[in-house]
Amino acid sequence: MNLKDMFKKTSGRSHYISLRNSHPEVPVGLLRKCNKCGAAIIAEDVKNGYYICPKCHGYFRVHAYRRIEMIADEGSFEEWNKEMEFVNPLEFKGYEEKINHLKEHTHLNEAVVTGKVMINGNPAVVGVCDGRFMMASMGQIVGEKIARAVERATEEKLPVIIFTCSGGARMQEGIISLMQMAKTSAALKKHSDAGQLYISVLTDPTTGGVTASFAMLGDIILAEPNALVGFAGPRVIEQTIGQKLPKGFQRSEFLLDHGFVDRIVEREELKDVLTQILEMHRAGGNACSGAEKAQDGSEAENRVPEHTSQSHDFSAHRSKESALSAWDRVQLSRRKDRPVGTDYIDALFTDFMEFHGDRYFKDDHAIVGGIAYFHGMPVTVIAQAKGKTTKENLDRNFSMPSPDGYRKALRLMKQAEKFGRPVICFVDTPGAFCGLEAEERGQGEAIARNLFELSGLKVPVLSVVIGEGGSGGALAMAVADEVWMLENAIYSVLSPEGFASILWKDSKRASEAAEVMKLTAADLKRLGMIEKVIEEPDDFSDSHMGTVCQDLDHDIREFIERYGKMKPEELTQKRYERFRNM
Amino acid sequence: MIGKVLIANRGEIAVRIIRACREMGIETVAVYSEADRDALHTQLADEAVCIGPAPSSESYLNMQNIISATLVSGADAIHPGFGFLSENSKFAELCEQCNITFIGPNSEVIRRLGNKSEARNTMMAAGVPVIPGSKEPIYDMEAGAKVADEIGYPVIVKAALGGGGKGMRVAETPEEFENSFRTAQKEAQMAFGDNTMYIEHFVQHPRHIEFQILADEHGNVIHLGERDCSIQRNHQKMIEESPSIALTPELRAKMGEAAVKAAKAAHYTNAGTIEFLLEKNNNFYFMEMNTRIQVEHPVTEWVTGIDLVKEQIRIADGRQLSYKQEDVHITGHAIECRINAENPEKNFRPSPGTITDMYLPGGKGVRIDAAIYSGYTVPPYYDSMLAKLIVHAKNRDEAIRKMRSALGEVIIEGIDTNVDYQYEILNHPDFVSGNIDIEFIENM
Repeated sequence: MNLKDMFKKTSGRSHYISLRNSHPEVPVGLLRKCNKCGAAIIAEDVKNGYYICPKCHGYFRVHAYRRIEMIADEGSFEEWNKEMEFVNPLEFKGYEEKINHLKEHTHLNEAVVTGKVMINGNPAVVGVCDGRFMMASMGQIVGEKIARAVERATEEKLPVIIFTCSGGARMQEGIISLMQMAKTSAALKKHSDAGQLYISVLTDPTTGGVTASFAMLGDIILAEPNALVGFAGPRVIEQTIGQKLPKGFQRSEFLLDHGFVDRIVEREELKDVLTQILEMHRAGGNACSGAEKAQDGSEAENRVPEHTSQSHDFSAHRSKESALSAWDRVQLSRRKDRPVGTDYIDALFTDFMEFHGDRYFKDDHAIVGGIAYFHGMPVTVIAQAKGKTTKENLDRNFSMPSPDGYRKALRLMKQAEKFGRPVICFVDTPGAFCGLEAEERGQGEAIARNLFELSGLKVPVLSVVIGEGGSGGALAMAVADEVWMLENAIYSVLSPEGFASILWKDSKRASEAAEVMKLTAADLKRLGMIEKVIEEPDDFSDSHMGTVCQDLDHDIREFIERYGKMKPEELTQKRYERFRNM
Repeated sequence: MIGKVLIANRGEIAVRIIRACREMGIETVAVYSEADRDALHTQLADEAVCIGPAPSSESYLNMQNIISATLVSGADAIHPGFGFLSENSKFAELCEQCNITFIGPNSEVIRRLGNKSEARNTMMAAGVPVIPGSKEPIYDMEAGAKVADEIGYPVIVKAALGGGGKGMRVAETPEEFENSFRTAQKEAQMAFGDNTMYIEHFVQHPRHIEFQILADEHGNVIHLGERDCSIQRNHQKMIEESPSIALTPELRAKMGEAAVKAAKAAHYTNAGTIEFLLEKNNNFYFMEMNTRIQVEHPVTEWVTGIDLVKEQIRIADGRQLSYKQEDVHITGHAIECRINAENPEKNFRPSPGTITDMYLPGGKGVRIDAAIYSGYTVPPYYDSMLAKLIVHAKNRDEAIRKMRSALGEVIIEGIDTNVDYQYEILNHPDFVSGNIDIEFIENM
C-alpha cells in the first residue's frame, strides 16, 4: 500500500529557506574521494587507517614521510642527503621552474627520501619514492641519493629497504636518467656481494626504468596488494599490440603468480613483516653461531618434548619390518592421510615465512619454501608439498614440480647460501611434472641446474624423504650432506609401475617390481644411499605423527651442530665425496 | 532557528520525531535504506532521501551519505534518534564541523561519557555513588581481604582479563573470602594465564532505575523522575514503568539530585538518561549515562506531561528549558511494553515478514508508537521492535489492568510477536506485586 500520497505534509512553507546566517556545508579537507570506488570518505579515517579506503579497501598512494612514519619507530628517522643541488644536464627549458614549483608545493627536495630508521629496534637504511614529485621519475638526483644510501648501508653493514613507486626514467634528463638504472643496480650488486640484505617493496605504480633496476633486485621482493608493476605501461602495451589487456594484468597478484614477487603484504602488517625479515637476517644468525645458540638451548624454544627415541621397542619394530612387503610400503608412502611437507614445517619450525616465485616465469605451488626459525636459528626450509584435499592437490599439481618449482627452490637455496643459513628439504614427489609446458621451459635443465648448484652450496644441506622420492624430481632436492628417510618412505629411479612397464611391458606387475627395485628406506640404508631411517609409529598419519617429529627435531639439531661447524670447502668436499663414491 | 530536520533513523522513533517536528511547524527529511522504501517513516516525512543498501553499515550508519543527504535537502539539523549513530561522537563531531545542528549533546560530551572508566572517574569526582571497587590490581589474598573489608560485603572477585564468568567469585562474608579469592585466582590463571584480580562490591538483586535528565545550554538541568526498567532479557529491556514502586519520595529526591549532579559534572546538554543500579537496602550506584533519547521515553512523557522530543529540538536550538524542577510533577502511573517481531517459543528468534492483518488498541490512556501498517513487510536487517504500547492510569494497579486489556486487543497477523509473552508477564504475581529485579525474566 502506498501511503505517501495520502498523508498530509507539513503545511506552510513549501520551499524552506533557512533563516540562519550560516548554512551547513562540508569544510574543505573533511572528506576525500576514493579513486578506486568513488566513495566519499572521511579524510581522517583514511589517515588513521594506513591510507586504505574503509569502503573498498583500495590503497591510497602514500607520501614518503607518511610511509616512513608507518614503518619506523617513533622519532628514529635520520634523513640523509636531504639537500641536493639541482642539476639540469640537458639544460632542458622550463625544467628548473618545474622543479622549484614542486619543491615549494610538496616540501620535498626530490622524488626520493633516504635515511636510516629503526624498525621495532632493528636498524635499516630506507629509500622511499614519492609520486607527487614528477611521478617519482628517476633523474640524476634520485639515482644519486639511492646509490649513496646503498653505499653507506654497505659500509655500515646495514640492510636496505626501498619502497618503489615511479613513472620510470625522467625524460627531462635524457640519457643521464637512463644511466641511473645502471648506477643504482651496480651499487646494489656491491651491497649484495658484501653479503648484505636488500628488500624492495613495490607500491602502486612502479614502472619503467625503476622496475628494470632497483625494484626487481631485492633479495626479498614484497608488494602492496593490487599495485601496478611493470616495465612498459599498460597503455603503451595496448597501443603497441592493438589488444585490450586482461583484468589484473601487471598487478601485484599477477606478478606473484608469475614468480616475481615473494609476498604480497597488506599495509597494516608491513611493519611486522619487515621486522621479522630483518630479525631473521640479523648479523650472527648464520649457521655456525646459530648452532651454538641452538645447542645451549637458552634462547631456543623447546616446543618438542625431550628426545625419547632410544626407548623404542625395537623388537616390536623388527617384527613389523619383516611383516611389511616393499609394495606395502609403496602404498603406505602414498596414503592420503600421510603427513605432507607443510605438516613437518608446522611441527618443526616457528614463524615460517613463505616466499614465492622463481623470478622467471611462475610460482609453482608444488614446492613450498621460505625461512623459519629452528630453535631460534634462521633456516631455509623447502618442501615438495602434496595437498590434503583434491582441490589442494590440483593446486599443488600432486606435488609434481615444474621447472619453475626447481628454480624457486634453487633461488631460495642460493639466498640461504648468501646469508649463511642451513637448508632443510623435505622430499615427497611422485616425480617431476611430465607435461608440455614442463618440457618447453626446460624440465631437464632445471633439474640438472639444481644438482650442479647444490653440489657446491656453501651451507649445510639436509634432505628428508618423507613420502615418495620419485626419481630426478626427488634428487633435484636431495644433493645434500645427508639424506634421511622415514621408515615407510620410498626413493627410486622410477615408480614401480613405470619400472614394470619398461622392463616387463606390464605395469600391473608393480608390486613385483617394488620388491626387486630396493626402494625402501631399509634397502637404501643398506646400499649406503642414505644416512638415517626415522622410525614411524603404527597408524602414522597427519593427526598422529607420534615420535617422528621429536626424533627429527633431535636429529636435525645434531646435524646442524655437526655440519654448521665445517668450513665451506670442507662441507662441499664432503658432499662431493658422498656422491663421488656412489 | 531550526526549520528543517533530517531524521537519521528508521522505525517508530523516526515516526515519533517526524510527528513532533510537524507539530512545531518544522519540515522533515527522512532517510531510508533500499530495504525501507515502503517504511512508514519514509512515506510520512515531507521528503525522503535514499542513503544506501539494506545493511545498516552502508545506510543508517553511513555518516558521509547522511551528511550529504542533509546538505542536499537543505536541512539544518539532524535528529539521530536512538541506536545507529545516536551515541557516535565522531558523527556528532562531523555535524559540528559541517555546521549542522546535532540534536543531542556535543561530541566531546558523548565521547567522554562513552568511555566507561572516564565516565566513572567523572562521577566519583562529582560525588555520585559508583560501585565501590579496588583501585589497584590485587595479586594476593591478604591484600584482597583488606580491600574487601573497606568496600563492604558481599564482594565479587574478578579476573582483570576476565570474561564469560571465568575467574569470578562472590564472597558473601569475610569467612568466605579466602576460598572465593583463591578459586577465582586459580581459574583466572588457568583461563587467561594471568592472576591479576579486581574486587568490587557485589550488587545483589538490583533494580534498573534510570533518571531522565533535561539540560539546556544555559546551565539549567532538571530531572523528570525515574523509570524502572528491571524487566530485561539479555540486557534488552522489555517493560518499563514510571514511577518505580521501589522509590519513596525521599529516595526519588536523593537519586534525582545525584542524577542532576552527574549531568552537571559531565557538562551535559539536551535529553539524557542516568542509569543506576538500586539495591534492596536503597543504596544506588551510577552505571552509565545514555546520551540520547531512550526507547522508553513515553512513560516519562506521560507522567510528567512533557514532550521530550520537542524539548530536545528546543534545547538544540539554543533555547532555555521550558520547565523548572518545581514545575515537574509525577502524575499517575505509566507502563510501556515493547512489541517485537520475534518468537518467544523459539528462543526469541526474529520473525520478519509481511503483516497481513492488524488491529491496534486505543482509548483513554492508551498510546501506540509504531511504524507498522497492514501490508507492511518487516525487513530482516534491523532491530525487531515493531511498536511500543504505553498506558497511563491513576495508579500502578489500574495501569497494569489497562495494559492487560490493551495487550489483549493487539492483533498482528502474518508474523510472530512477543505480545502473548508480555501478557504473561503482566499477569505474573511478582510483577503485579512489584517484587521485581533485573533477574526477573531469568527466574520466570
